[in-house]
Amino acid sequence: MSNLSTILGGSSDAVDPRKEGLPLFGLWADDGMNQHANFRIYNSSYSNVGAPWAAVSNSTTSYRFGMLADPVHSYNMSDYGSSLSQGQLGSNAYSDWQQYGKSSAYMIDQYPDTPYYSVSKSGHIQWNSKHQYTSQFEWVVGWTKVNMVLPEGVRPRRTFCNRSTALREVAGTTPTSQVDGYNYASHMLYTGSGSSAVGTGYNEKTKTLVMIHSNEGGSSSHGVHIFKSSKDLNSVTRIKEFFDNLTSTEYFEGSWTVGNNKDNVVVVGNNGYVGIGAKYSNSMRYAVFNCNVLGSGYTTTASRQSGSWHDFQGSTTTSYCSDQGGGYYTRFQTTWDGTWGLIQTPYYYYGQGLCAYAINLENPRKFVNLNQTKTSYSNPYVPIGRTGFMGGNSSNTDSETWQTYEFSFDPTDSDHNGNTEVFYGGTDGSHVVPQSTNNRSWSLSNGTNTSLQLGYTGLTGGYYSTCYPFLTNVNWWGAYGSADSSYGGK
Amino acid sequence: MIYYFTNGGEPATPFALSGDQMVEQGTGIKAEVPEGIESWRLSLDPDTNAVNVAYEGMTEEDAHAQKLIDDLAVQASLEEVRKEAQAEREAATA
Repeated sequence: MSNLSTILGGSSDAVDPRKEGLPLFGLWADDGMNQHANFRIYNSSYSNVGAPWAAVSNSTTSYRFGMLADPVHSYNMSDYGSSLSQGQLGSNAYSDWQQYGKSSAYMIDQYPDTPYYSVSKSGHIQWNSKHQYTSQFEWVVGWTKVNMVLPEGVRPRRTFCNRSTALREVAGTTPTSQVDGYNYASHMLYTGSGSSAVGTGYNEKTKTLVMIHSNEGGSSSHGVHIFKSSKDLNSVTRIKEFFDNLTSTEYFEGSWTVGNNKDNVVVVGNNGYVGIGAKYSNSMRYAVFNCNVLGSGYTTTASRQSGSWHDFQGSTTTSYCSDQGGGYYTRFQTTWDGTWGLIQTPYYYYGQGLCAYAINLENPRKFVNLNQTKTSYSNPYVPIGRTGFMGGNSSNTDSETWQTYEFSFDPTDSDHNGNTEVFYGGTDGSHVVPQSTNNRSWSLSNGTNTSLQLGYTGLTGGYYSTCYPFLTNVNWWGAYGSADSSYGGK
Repeated sequence: MIYYFTNGGEPATPFALSGDQMVEQGTGIKAEVPEGIESWRLSLDPDTNAVNVAYEGMTEEDAHAQKLIDDLAVQASLEEVRKEAQAEREAATA
């Protein structure tokens, strides 16, 4: 009935077609010889929901065989190696595709087609060729993607990229053809800080696009434009429509330093406050600005900034930003319900561990710092459940359950004057459901840090002996609704 | 200098506000560590509260390089174990 009434122009309680069920994730395991390999798809309850016949292969005498359109099948051992899940996941450079790809927090952001691999709901793998690796989209211009704050259950389904003074739409994350483009320079009120867009965020609820202009390097001079439109960027046919229907344009300019301006991550909160976070030396920085419509007199940082720049409060060590390569830019991703987000970089050199600002997307003034200091046997982090993330661990599962760093937030708490409760797991069920009335959670005052905690999943790693499971994102979690195994019950 | 570790002995933070909060909530341990050592080389023995420095005496560059060598050595030894197991399986089914 709801669909019919919507068609007839009545109430609009139809489900957004972009809305997905609760997150799925993939877990690859093999024997290190490319002979026993399996790839499982799990839902947010850690139940296996993959197709039973989607196993890649099982052969004792040769490399994987038999699965149609297996992108890895065409590679020899030296390309994808004998051990997609067996590498020591150490401190290797991007030139070693396996080590970089398998281990890295750089591999994931909020976009469903994650940088170097994406996996379908049925377990069909996508991995790109390692050839021309450093000329691929993500390595060169992945940092130009617009960071989106979207409704519950929605991930970006269109890819908008902002560079110079042009907003472009591209097809996914490949260097193929541009879909659309618009030079918005005539709408800018201030160009004194430089003409390179270096960090852009969009809030669909408020139809607000916020972008920083500076240079694509280390300049400390920044101009921030706040464009509000009556048209939703994700709904327009041509980008020009968004700018043709602006209801407000404001800007402010100021001076601050980050590692490289390509690392700026702009997060536009529902309340009009905007968080800007970025890698800064081996650490990170975060600041919040009031980007509500304030009037023409608010053109300085001092007139907009809430508090001061906040340095990351967790443990840091040598780790890389865009200065060391375009692929090392700072990432953003959100929980399924769109109430919390992570601005994240790895802890260690090329990708292991995690340093992250966890930000409330209703009110970016509310944030805490999360830290995980692994230097090997790592994995990316992915959304899980309604309001959480998990990942970060690929340690040997021989005689062990596969473990993961899972944590989640209160979606209703956006008060930056109060503590933030962060739930975490443990090594047995009684930890999670204790006899006492205490939650298994940290209570963090605003802006402080905690280290993440491993939890047992109860899942086999996927092979009876040495095995380091490889965690992947899934590019479509299934349509939202009770007919889907990833529904989750909300 | 002061550093805070998790109860498992992993480096957590050098900052007092966050570290003291961890200690207060029972999730962190405060310890004195040597100056000038990157945190990835630091760990704490949770039983004795003794601080360990990986690759002690080495520069950061040398320590990082040595870690890579050590990681690859572990990888190679696992590879050997797997090859032996594979050979045994093939022999058993021949």
